[in-house]
Amino acid sequence: MQSKTSFFNKALFKKNISRTWIPGLIYFIILALCMPVAFVISNAHSADDYMAQMGYTMEMRLYQHMSIMPSAAFAIVISIVVTSITFWYLFNKRDNYMMHAFPVNRKSLFFTGLISSLIVELVPVLLAAVFMTVAAVGMGTASVSCIWYWTFVTVSSTILFSSIAMFALMTTGQIVTGILFYIIFNFLYILMEIAFRITASVLMFGLRQSMSGINYKMWTPVLYIPANCNIYSNIITDDYGEKVISFTHSFNGAKYLFIYLAVAVVIYAISFVMYKTKKLETVQDFIAVPFIKPIFSVGMSFFISMVGGAAAAAMIEVLVPFSFNTRYVVSIWIMLVIGIIIYYATQMMIEKTLRVFSAKTLAHCAVYSVAAIIVMLGLRFDVMNIENKVPDVKDIKWVGIDNQYIMTFRDKNSIEQIRELHQNIIDDKKELRDLTTLYPNNGISTMTIKYQLKNGDVVIRSYDMIDTQAKEASATYVAATQPILDFLNQPKIIKEHIIGNIWKTGYIKDMTFSTYTYDEDLKDFVYDAKTFDGISEVDRRAKFGRVYKALLKDIDEGKVFVQRFGYDMYDDEYNNNNLYNDFYFTIRDDNNTYISDMEMYWGDDYMNEMFEQEISASLSKDCKHTLKALKEEEFYDSDELIITYDEYNERVSY
Amino acid sequence: MIKVNKVTKKFGDFVALDSLDMNVPKGAIYGLVGPNGAGKSTIIRHLSGVYKQDAGQVLIDGQPVYENDDIKRRYAVIPDDIFYFTQANTIDMMKFYKDMYPKFDEELFKKIMDCFPAINPKKMVRSLSKGMQKQVAFMLSIASRPELMILDEPVDGLDPVMRRQIWSLIMSDVAENGLTVLVSSHNLRELEDVCDHVGIMNHGKLLIERSLDDLQTSITKIQIAFEGEMPELPPEIKVLKKITNGRVHTLIVKGEPKEAEQKVAMMNPLLMDVLPLTLEEIFIYELGGENYAVKDIIF
Repeated sequence: MQSKTSFFNKALFKKNISRTWIPGLIYFIILALCMPVAFVISNAHSADDYMAQMGYTMEMRLYQHMSIMPSAAFAIVISIVVTSITFWYLFNKRDNYMMHAFPVNRKSLFFTGLISSLIVELVPVLLAAVFMTVAAVGMGTASVSCIWYWTFVTVSSTILFSSIAMFALMTTGQIVTGILFYIIFNFLYILMEIAFRITASVLMFGLRQSMSGINYKMWTPVLYIPANCNIYSNIITDDYGEKVISFTHSFNGAKYLFIYLAVAVVIYAISFVMYKTKKLETVQDFIAVPFIKPIFSVGMSFFISMVGGAAAAAMIEVLVPFSFNTRYVVSIWIMLVIGIIIYYATQMMIEKTLRVFSAKTLAHCAVYSVAAIIVMLGLRFDVMNIENKVPDVKDIKWVGIDNQYIMTFRDKNSIEQIRELHQNIIDDKKELRDLTTLYPNNGISTMTIKYQLKNGDVVIRSYDMIDTQAKEASATYVAATQPILDFLNQPKIIKEHIIGNIWKTGYIKDMTFSTYTYDEDLKDFVYDAKTFDGISEVDRRAKFGRVYKALLKDIDEGKVFVQRFGYDMYDDEYNNNNLYNDFYFTIRDDNNTYISDMEMYWGDDYMNEMFEQEISASLSKDCKHTLKALKEEEFYDSDELIITYDEYNERVSY
Repeated sequence: MIKVNKVTKKFGDFVALDSLDMNVPKGAIYGLVGPNGAGKSTIIRHLSGVYKQDAGQVLIDGQPVYENDDIKRRYAVIPDDIFYFTQANTIDMMKFYKDMYPKFDEELFKKIMDCFPAINPKKMVRSLSKGMQKQVAFMLSIASRPELMILDEPVDGLDPVMRRQIWSLIMSDVAENGLTVLVSSHNLRELEDVCDHVGIMNHGKLLIERSLDDLQTSITKIQIAFEGEMPELPPEIKVLKKITNGRVHTLIVKGEPKEAEQKVAMMNPLLMDVLPLTLEEIFIYELGGENYAVKDIIF
């Protein structure tokens, strides 16, 4: 009999379940294999495996296991599979007409479909969680809250993705397009951001590395959820990775999941209204909702042509270097051509005919083209203040400069100074943005300034540079860029940021200086480096300390770790003076953590807690103090063992 | 039973139903005829609650059909292309209909099943032949004990014996339970045998809607011959078509047949024969010419 509640139909519910239970069962099997089965198998010998010897408890193993368990990735797949099978009838004329001819109203069809698909999607997750709990308890840990937090994340993700699937399926009359729209809607924000970033990286001043500053936003839940709504498990071992020192864990991002659940409810409501008002004659139409047609057509044309125009300009530029303005002109022309083609192609898809050329579509296309040109001109004249943006001091967590060395600054004073230096570059951007065409014969290097903001965003700007000492360099160019080198080459900055924060408090744990002797038989240089194994640890440290002290003197005199622009390792001056001999040492402070500028620059994921760092220095003949100390400390005994790059190249016939 | 008031439906710029009016009396077997593209399937989809009209009203028993479960439970629809769930057999579909239609009569369904021994109830319905699928649809619909059946090309694809069997089932339901039937078909000869009311559609409008008796008496075919030239016909005789073959003239005359016969008789013809028109002939003449059927086939 017909159910009395008008939003639910029992007969339909049974039919929906009978059509979708197989994907549900497969989903459960996959979850069961990934969770309890994998956990039990991997910890079958937990009493005497290597992890047990390191001090891992079953709780740690469980948290490690659950912290890497996919949640959103599972949810995004199962949601579209089950929802599209449930609402399959919407995409076939015969099924569509008959289903709506039955005595079931659309409210009932919608909510019965929603309930049945959610049941098929969520029951496997809950069952897998129950089995995982049983397995964990059976293996010896009662600390199973991570299992249920994962369940919460996965259930929330599933509800969200299911709502997006429902919305996507309501927008079209074709199942394949529905699935395509589902993917597009899920990645829409990041796709738009990537399109803008690709275009900016080609066309805008200083934004060449803009692709590397992507930070996942809430608008792309399939990427945001794994990154921000997860189980964090941190197991710290000793320096040698042999013993567990500490174990911490946390459950992150619950508040975002509640926001996503609220968003899902809104999307379900919108989808329901779309279903209620859906004209069934739109079955098998590419787009079933009238207001989405122009959005799709213009959106596709704009983003594809924008990226296409910029990419084509970049490819042509490999052959013929463009000035800043020429690059824009070429991009806009290509963009217009691609945009018009895509516009009419989308019209053909929407209208299901090749006959789309009319005065009306021509007028629409013209309006779109003008709008696209306005956007491109907006980029050219930086109306959004992207090129000219220098973040406020109060918003900056740290700023890094990547030139020949990577340096990262956290103190307010340095941050303010770098902001000013950055502002100098922007003020003289007319000079700096056309270096390739203004100075075609000068070596060009890239300097990158990276701001890590307190809100998690990253601002990266990269600038082409030529040697400030080059005779062709204009006064404006030198005035804009030399202050940066002056800042970076300060001895205090070099010591703090190239050797590191423990440059003063640390001791030299190890040091290597290689020497090279030419072997006539081998026709090559033979490497050698003294290890000083025969002397005591105290003597070794004292010996290394004396060389280190001499190195600091050379730093003070500006002889080592000095940076420049337009760096070219094949130039004569460099090869004539710089040594082929390697010199590196390990500095350690047992009481202070070493803060690596380089690791900080590349992001939190690369940060490790450590107390020492190996530093490599490129010595030159000018490093008199260091070379003298190395000789006195018996790292080498003859000046013949010291060779420059030129000397090396000459002997080995490069 | 069915009342359609000034219903308009557009698909883009194409007007599928143009201020259509239609009336199907309770207990009638109403044949809806018209050329391809006339709008028959469109109005049937409105009556099924699938399409929503742009303007006008579609009422069954005085209630709007669209999104009205209560009304839809009282009637059954058999479209030209029938839907069955994937993997479902006849028994599964019977259970589904039983849950959907409160008056579904399982005993009746079993009895009807006996009339169709060729159908294996445990075989997936989608794997049955098109004719068998139609038979299953009839079994399910009749067993739902509807007050109204809406049939779109119902016996298309069935062999003559099976057609007769299906119609006999429907007719007995009409006779016993006062079932109302709206049937759309191209097979005019078949409709003529079963329908008591006819509506002729073209270009989204209903050109004629009448009982079959009225319709067949509103147009007459008169064959006459005169000694010499045929005299001029009185102006009150409205001739739809005149065909002359030697001295024999065939007139298709609109209006009361007896009246037309009397007026023609007053012209003293040598020979006069009054013949009834078939539904197919009425359909052709009403739609503006005997070449219509040929046009329909070609285009």
